[in-house]
Amino acid sequence: MPAGAPSPPAHLSSQTWAELLGLAQEEAGERAMLERCLELWREAHGASTAALYLDKGGALELEAASGPAPLPALFDPRPEPLDPTGSGAAYGWLPLAAGGLLYTPPLAAAGAAGALAGDPLTLLLAGTLKNCRLRHELKEQQFQVNYRVVELESLYDVGLAVAATLDRERLSEEILLRAVSLLDARRGALYVLEGERYLLDRTFGGEAAASFELGEPGLAAFLTGTGDPPPDLLPGARYLLAVPIAIESSPRGLLAVADKESRRGVGPFPVTNRRTLELFANQAAIALENARLHLQAIEKERLESEMSLAAEIQRQILPHGAPAVPGFQLCGWNRPARQVGGDYYDLFVRDDGRCGLVVGDVSGKGMPAALMVSTLHSALRLLFDQTGFGPTLLERLNRHILDSSAANKFITLLLAQLDPGTGDLLYLNAGHNPGLLLRRGGEVVELGSSGLPLGLLPGSRFQARSLIVAPGDLLCLYTDGITEAESPREEEFGSARLLATLREHQDQPLPVLLEAIQEATARFSQGLPQGDDQTLVLLRRDP
Amino acid sequence: MTESLKLTVDRRDGLAVIYTEGYINNQGGEEIAKAGYKLIDEGYKRLLLNLAGTKIVNSIGISILIEIIEKMIEIDGKLGFCCLTPTIEKTFQIMGLTQYAPVFSNETEAVAQLGA
Repeated sequence: MPAGAPSPPAHLSSQTWAELLGLAQEEAGERAMLERCLELWREAHGASTAALYLDKGGALELEAASGPAPLPALFDPRPEPLDPTGSGAAYGWLPLAAGGLLYTPPLAAAGAAGALAGDPLTLLLAGTLKNCRLRHELKEQQFQVNYRVVELESLYDVGLAVAATLDRERLSEEILLRAVSLLDARRGALYVLEGERYLLDRTFGGEAAASFELGEPGLAAFLTGTGDPPPDLLPGARYLLAVPIAIESSPRGLLAVADKESRRGVGPFPVTNRRTLELFANQAAIALENARLHLQAIEKERLESEMSLAAEIQRQILPHGAPAVPGFQLCGWNRPARQVGGDYYDLFVRDDGRCGLVVGDVSGKGMPAALMVSTLHSALRLLFDQTGFGPTLLERLNRHILDSSAANKFITLLLAQLDPGTGDLLYLNAGHNPGLLLRRGGEVVELGSSGLPLGLLPGSRFQARSLIVAPGDLLCLYTDGITEAESPREEEFGSARLLATLREHQDQPLPVLLEAIQEATARFSQGLPQGDDQTLVLLRRDP
Repeated sequence: MTESLKLTVDRRDGLAVIYTEGYINNQGGEEIAKAGYKLIDEGYKRLLLNLAGTKIVNSIGISILIEIIEKMIEIDGKLGFCCLTPTIEKTFQIMGLTQYAPVFSNETEAVAQLGA
């Protein structure tokens, strides 16, 4: 025995005492020492069975046992008499100051509890148990610290993943799995707000309700931790925790977990878990928002691509330059307010040499109007060939437009046919702006309307009118995008300014005149965005 | 997604491989421990846990795995892991499991190393 060592209890041999000291000095030798001490204690007190239970977070777990009787892993002092093994012996237990208890049958045989407590072997046992408990607590604390690091690393990793990918499916799964595992939950679910409903995006560990109304009574209170959960959120779950997924207080979804696990079963989530779940919900919110914006950008790109295609198709519909008409100059021009527009014009020469001139305006703008322009173009060319120029053409066109368009859509149209040999001009005007014929001598003749716009009424009738385009006369057909171009003072350019521009440039080449009208409207609008599609058709008979 | 743990065991010459599929939580961990301790009782001192089918582990599952590792140390045996997801491997590193139980990227390498 080392010099200065304490004297062993009288009934322990020096050899046993040396053995115990050796165990005490071993790394992690507490358990072996505890088992040896318990064995010595049982032998010294003549007990058939003895056990030590250690208090681990409120539960008394079996730490060491000696003797043949089987003992429960958890100590429950409630049964009376204390006989969990069913042996019939009067088992008893002695609390130890170290935070556990000594359990042995029968206490009476070993003497009074007070005498046992003062027994040197009992004291040695208590000391060793205390070492075990401290070691256990140290391990537990180290485990908790490490797990806290795992939690922080998880949040960091999820943050990186959110920044690095727009794969919402993968991110949603990652976030739900991490939340479930880090909170030791048995189950979980992630909901995404679509319109006014939370729709189940994914679930883990069991079924979940398919959807919830955004304003469902009780849900908001539960999400803030002040109310009970909706009963069907995670059916069968006993303990629920859920937090909103939100961007600047605007709801995007919700994240729920259920049934926090421990070694003894499931229980409620501690208050601190709400904060952890909120941090995951924040990451989910960013992921969902990024994905939403990404989808929006893709959709916008797709729409822009489709609009570009539609604009190209529309450019193909409109004439590529003006046909040659003997004795006449002819030109046309169109500029839509958006990528595609609802204005239409056409210039063509028929087999018999007569020239067709068309200017039309579909109600509305953008893609719906452009689609109607396409319908108008194909039907008009076809009907022109079938019926020739005249009221019948417009009546049949009117029925076609009525049948193939929405109820509130209509088209104004000015259709003219010129005989270049004589200068005879026949025209039909279905609710369109009156064309302007500026005579060489300065007189102005309006080509006014002779019927309702196309597509309004099934039985509309139209009347053809005629006039002579004399040498030097100038004809201008246009849409209201020209005359209704606005100034910053909300004045309209008007037909008077158009006529003034025509007069000013009456004898100049048509491209110069066209440019003059464009400049005049642009100057008038002073940089304001073009409010409506603009179209011009100009015809001048050579002097 | 498999959520409750399914286990299969492959007993080989001197080494047993436990394949997991699903959540290693309290229940899943207990299943692994039960299988592991049974193999130890049968005399196996080298165990390989192939977690290819597991995407999620919680702290209770980890604490049970630590107990199995401690048991293996106690009997002077060897335990290894293979086919971990990056998330689980990182978790095991932080929790200290990899100090006592090596991690292998694939089963062939693991069997070669543990069986040696």
